[in-house]
Amino acid sequence: MLRIGREQISFGCVCSFVFLEIRWKAGSVHIAFWSQDCPGRTMMDLASRLRRPSQRVAGESRRMTSHFWRFLWTLALLGLMSPVNSQRKAPGAPRDLKCTTANLRVWDCSWKAPSGAGRGALYEVCIENRSPPCYQLGKTNTQIPSLLPGDHEITINPLHDFGSSMSKFVLNEKDVSFIPDTPEILDLSADFPTSTLHLRWSDKGSVFPRHSNVIWEIKVLRKDSMEVVKLVTHNTTLNGKDTVHHWSWVSDMPLECTTHSVGLRCYVDDPHFSGRKEWSNWSPLKNISWSADSHGRVFPVDKVIPVGSDITFCCVTLEKVLSAQIGSVKRPLIHLDGENVAIKIYNISVSENSGTNVVFITKEDIYGTVIFAGYPPDIPQKLNCETYDLKEIICTWDPGRPTALAGPRGTTYTLFESFSGKHEVQRLEGFINESCRLLFQILPNQELYNFTLSAHNPLGQSQTRILVNVTERVYPHAPTSVKVKDINATAVTLSWHLPGSFAKIKLLCQVEINKMNSAQELRNVTFQGADGSSYLTAVGGLHPYTVYVFRVRCSGETFWKWSRWSSEKQYLTTEAIPSKGPDTWREWRSDGRNLVIYWKPLPINEANGKILFYNVSCSSDERTESLSEIPDPQHKAEIQLDRNDYIISVVAKNSAGPSPPSKIASMEIPNDDLETEQTVGGGKGILLTWHYDPNMTCDYVVKWCNSSRVEPCLMDWKKVPSNGTETVVESDHFRPGVRYNFFLYGCRNQGYQLLRSVIGYIEELAPVVAPNFTVEDTSADSILVKWEDIPVEELRGFLRGYLFYFEKGERDTSKMRGLESGRPDVKVKNITDVSQKTLRIADLQSKTSYHLVLHAYTSGGLGPGRSMFVVTKENSVGLIIAILIPVAVAVTVGVVSSILCYRKREWIKETFYPDIPNPENCKALQFQKGVCEGNSALKTLEMNPCTPNNVEVLETRVTAPKIEDTEIISPVAERPGESPEAEPENPVVVSYCPPVIEEEVPNPGADEAGGTSQVIYIDVQSMYQPQAKPEEEPETEAAAGAGYKPQMHLPVTSAVEHAAAEDDADNTAGYRPQASVRAWSLVSPDSPRSTGSNSEVGSFGSPCSVNSRQFLIPPKDGDSPKSDGGGWSFTNFFQNKPND
Amino acid sequence: MSRREGSLENPQADSSVSSLPQLEAKIHQTQSLARLLTKYAEQLLQEYVQAQGDPFGLPGFSPPWMPVVGLSAPAPGHAGLPAPERLQLDARALAALPPLLDVVRRLQAELNPRAQRLLRRLEDAARQARALSAAVEAVLAALGSEPRGPWPEPAAATAAATTAGVFPAKVLGLRVCGLYLEWVSRTEADLGQLVPGGPA
Repeated sequence: MLRIGREQISFGCVCSFVFLEIRWKAGSVHIAFWSQDCPGRTMMDLASRLRRPSQRVAGESRRMTSHFWRFLWTLALLGLMSPVNSQRKAPGAPRDLKCTTANLRVWDCSWKAPSGAGRGALYEVCIENRSPPCYQLGKTNTQIPSLLPGDHEITINPLHDFGSSMSKFVLNEKDVSFIPDTPEILDLSADFPTSTLHLRWSDKGSVFPRHSNVIWEIKVLRKDSMEVVKLVTHNTTLNGKDTVHHWSWVSDMPLECTTHSVGLRCYVDDPHFSGRKEWSNWSPLKNISWSADSHGRVFPVDKVIPVGSDITFCCVTLEKVLSAQIGSVKRPLIHLDGENVAIKIYNISVSENSGTNVVFITKEDIYGTVIFAGYPPDIPQKLNCETYDLKEIICTWDPGRPTALAGPRGTTYTLFESFSGKHEVQRLEGFINESCRLLFQILPNQELYNFTLSAHNPLGQSQTRILVNVTERVYPHAPTSVKVKDINATAVTLSWHLPGSFAKIKLLCQVEINKMNSAQELRNVTFQGADGSSYLTAVGGLHPYTVYVFRVRCSGETFWKWSRWSSEKQYLTTEAIPSKGPDTWREWRSDGRNLVIYWKPLPINEANGKILFYNVSCSSDERTESLSEIPDPQHKAEIQLDRNDYIISVVAKNSAGPSPPSKIASMEIPNDDLETEQTVGGGKGILLTWHYDPNMTCDYVVKWCNSSRVEPCLMDWKKVPSNGTETVVESDHFRPGVRYNFFLYGCRNQGYQLLRSVIGYIEELAPVVAPNFTVEDTSADSILVKWEDIPVEELRGFLRGYLFYFEKGERDTSKMRGLESGRPDVKVKNITDVSQKTLRIADLQSKTSYHLVLHAYTSGGLGPGRSMFVVTKENSVGLIIAILIPVAVAVTVGVVSSILCYRKREWIKETFYPDIPNPENCKALQFQKGVCEGNSALKTLEMNPCTPNNVEVLETRVTAPKIEDTEIISPVAERPGESPEAEPENPVVVSYCPPVIEEEVPNPGADEAGGTSQVIYIDVQSMYQPQAKPEEEPETEAAAGAGYKPQMHLPVTSAVEHAAAEDDADNTAGYRPQASVRAWSLVSPDSPRSTGSNSEVGSFGSPCSVNSRQFLIPPKDGDSPKSDGGGWSFTNFFQNKPND
Repeated sequence: MSRREGSLENPQADSSVSSLPQLEAKIHQTQSLARLLTKYAEQLLQEYVQAQGDPFGLPGFSPPWMPVVGLSAPAPGHAGLPAPERLQLDARALAALPPLLDVVRRLQAELNPRAQRLLRRLEDAARQARALSAAVEAVLAALGSEPRGPWPEPAAATAAATTAGVFPAKVLGLRVCGLYLEWVSRTEADLGQLVPGGPA
């Protein structure tokens, strides 16, 4: 077989899929054309019988070339142009016999009349093998019953037409076209709210002889322009009867928007028919349209659609629509017929409860509709069905995802019970907090219920199922009317009401019993259920005179859920006699005549009621003393007794009666062999142990008290059975750091003997105070320290020792802090002998301050320390040695130096003090006397005896190096011109010719310098600091110009000037008294103050004596050296002249 | 106060009715009620448009007033009518409003079941309109004017209009709420012309 596809051949229309199929079998070639999309689905089948020997076919097929294909095409086209298959025809004979069938029963055959035949021509038609074989016709067509498959010879013979000849045709079923009759639409209707078209037609199956498949092709056209919007095939089967078929189609556009038309055709695919099968003609179109009134309308109206859908809205109006919008969003208009328009919405989002508004706006009006976009109902979740009272079943569920639809579009839930066939319906309106629950009445004699909960809304439905046995799903209401009634002091009757019809089941109820300060107790009770009845149960095992709180809840015996608890019912049980006598102890007064009897109040569980009073009696063989009706708050009594043995009996009594008596012997058995022990508890109590003593026939009693309290020592006691060997003494009154006394008594022969005496602490703490200590003795190398005991209340534990810290240190040093911090210079002595009260600290340094700190410590920790500073005494022998050795060395050096100087005195003189030539021997210097006296300007040449002066400048500043004696010769004499330039405004060069005060060696050099000497007072410190801050010179000069200027400013040299300026800068602020050491210059009081012409040189010098180097006015400044203050100093000792 | 027909100085006032101060107090009281209801009506209208979704409530969205059977807006010449006649019209309109407001409330209960405040306001508005109508009629009676009979029951006709769809129902509700506001404010103004110191 060979297929050629995708050829376009025009047969009056363009068929895009035309196939040529060529099949060859032995001796024949079959050529067929068909199309898939041409209207009418043309199929042509050409058969050409090329009869050839089979052996030739085999040989030629191997030589098939493209020439052969060209031949086949030509043959096919010939076949198209000549649809009638092989027929023999002769000129002037009937020709072109064609046969079709519409129902496979009858063939409609026609032929063309021979040329020249008139309208009334008769034809004799003869069909081979038919009876009668021939019949006459006055027309050129005839209907013949369908022939069997195979070739049939048909002879058509024109009668009475001498010019014509008979024609013979070979007719085969394959040459017949099967074209069904045009179908007819019975009905086309529209459901406008759903935009659905309903089509109805008949297949006329009764006309067909046998069952066949039928393909219906339906087309839907829209608008006046007949746009095909839907083309669909629909398959049915012919069953020999007329059958009406239905087809529905939902339009994406509301049907009201425009005209919709529907057409129909069919194709009968009879498998047994070998001829050509063709589509029928299209049926006449049926139209659906909506007549618009004068008022515009928008479609669809109030439609409910799923979220995410695409939807088309249209406005049917006679006005021109200007715009359209959904919500607040405008959409483009799609123009339909007339003024009708539409808008398309894609993937619509969920609507609000009131829906999504769609409006079309015209010039005059606004038209609109509302669309509801939501979700189909979710599958109901957590469906639960239970009953409160076995009268009705309550089913609850969770609706799941909200549908966003409310009101009439909300979800409707239907609860269907399959066994009974009953159902209940509920619709969720969408209100806030709307509950999802349905009640179903319980049916008699039915326990098993199979529920199906269906949910549906306009967008869909869902369902879920549950199978319940209602007797196993009992969730009773909370019991009500709870009542309590006495039975006796330890039992009550509890009753309650439980609404419901529980006769068919058993109930399990739970009674909760709450007692003050006690764990709650739950008791389960099972009842046979009843209908709306009360239930009763006895609650025993209670304590007399106790407040109980009862409440009840119930469930089915096959547990499903407990009901809620009933309201609480409080009840006080009645009193009973006390179950025991009070716990009793006795103490003899110190005088030994009065016995104090103590008893403890009975605990509530032993008192069994309110204790009204106590009766106490003391009986011996001889006498009995009684104290009756001691009121309850009193828990001791005192009786004067002799030293006989008494049995003391204490009875507590409440309204129900007296307790059993509690007895104790008054006798105490002495125990001389007793030592006080120490113990420490574990934080809450103290453990006391003892050895088993078979002689102790009664019991043991441990009593305790605070050791610091005064007598009687009784804080509390505790009884231990006689077979016990230990007890833990606990009390809420125990406090850490408090010392308690514990006494263990053993009961023997109705008398108590003190077995152990123990002092102890529940928990030891560190001492709260430091021990008081004093220094008993000090020496040059040791200190003896003595301390006192710490009181017991402040010790707060057993004393374990003392820690003694000491180190060198004075009171005001920082070392005082943290002495015990582990520094290596701190020495520690740990005194573990608590009886030691003194300590001698040896190996100390003499005349040294020591810092001492003493701590006491217990097992609870180290207490605070007390500190003290002690100075050791001086070592006198060492001091003497320290003085004598330097003195001896100094004397030795002095003697040796003197000897050396004396022996080398000539050499020293020649070296350091050579002889100076006498200027008087120089003739050049011998001026006339008159000249010298007459002209003062020539005074410098005057050879007056101008004795050079020795000036000593004494530096008193501490920071500067000490200069004890300085001899300066005025440099001004050597450089007289520099002085005015250096300090023009403050000339401090003082020329004077002092009288001879001291007969010292004349200074020839000074004589050479002239009659006027210049004395320069130089701060010695300046001399040693010539480079002091040269960069600050302008500043210091400016500062120096302001205010008082000290007379110390001497511009001798630049270095000196700098130093002086710096000094001045230090003293620019106001007046500086001459008490300043720097401001004071050592000068003789008789020195001329203004020997020169410069009157600005005012007072100069200080008030010192002429030859003294000691200031007469002592300095007051704090920075003045103390040694200048008039006190003795070593420097003065060597410097001062003994002028006084 | 100017001398106008229907004012307190109206000599036609029935001397058998309450004394003048009592009448004045009644008018004052009714006007205060109308003023309060005007504020409530504004809030109702605002709440209503908010519950309807866009484009209701958007600026510029004003659907044409669809006619409400049995009730119309105050006529343009209403202010020119004599005072008793104005009050008669006010009373009739206020009496016609409660059934309409009830219809709107039912529609909104289906459409907006969660809009509890709107539903409560609609319910209150029907009750308040009824009360104001009665109060105006009492003033009319005090003035000696007989109230006219009520307008035809509009509810049935309105209910039929709402079957056209949700959108027309929304527009109807908007219209009814608007009419309620118009009439209570109109009543307040009409009563204000009767009290001393009120607008002339």
